[in-house]
Amino acid sequence: MKWLTKTLHDERRALERARRRFVIKPNEKHLHDVRTAGRRFRSLLEDVADLAPCERLLRRVKKAAAATDAARDATIILRLLEAGLDAGETELARPLLEELQVEEAAATERARKALRRVRFDS
Amino acid sequence: MKPERVELTGVRGVRELAGRVLRVRLREARGLTGGLQRRDQRGLHDFRIACKRLRYALERFGELEPSLGEMALRLALLQDALGEAHDRDVLLSILPPAMAGTERRLRAEREECVNRAGTIWRALSPMMQALDSHRISMSI
Repeated sequence: MKWLTKTLHDERRALERARRRFVIKPNEKHLHDVRTAGRRFRSLLEDVADLAPCERLLRRVKKAAAATDAARDATIILRLLEAGLDAGETELARPLLEELQVEEAAATERARKALRRVRFDS
Repeated sequence: MKPERVELTGVRGVRELAGRVLRVRLREARGLTGGLQRRDQRGLHDFRIACKRLRYALERFGELEPSLGEMALRLALLQDALGEAHDRDVLLSILPPAMAGTERRLRAEREECVNRAGTIWRALSPMMQALDSHRISMSI
């Protein structure tokens, strides 16, 4: 089926491009983009598994996504806490904010290293 | 939560493929609406993931039937609402107990997010029924 071949090819390339952008410049936007491209591609592989079984590739996509979970969580939770903090509780929140800032940087670097080792175009 | 397998034996074209995939993903999302009613973290998470799978399928097949794009758009809003509720759940689980003011605010926001998701889901109902009864024609 031409449509399926083309869609698999396009979404795979989109994920590989997003992966490269994140590895080169691991910021919040690129993290979001690589996660979104991964989820889309994963859902496609799962939807059409009967026609185009790609178990090894699917495992690779899942593993790469899992490697970015901690970075995403730290980033989002940090932004949420910064934005939703009760005015009288800034001091109480300071240790958690600092912990999240450290975790955001460390988890993003771990994600970058993990994604540097994987490719989706081969 | 593992996705349900889509049986594709004998599929002859992309419209038939779309029909089979959408039927399964729609059934999955509907089967998990209990989470939206119970409002518990696990149930909401599973429902959100099922909606995400349905949304991606709708977007993918939207080029075949433009009305699918409108459903996908609304599902994206629903996902945003559930995602925001989930983020608050995660933050609440690590928030120091002394931060009562922030906790109250987050809990209230979380409930608003779930309410918003419920409103969007109810508004989607006629579209889902149309898809289910093939009034949105995919030649399925």
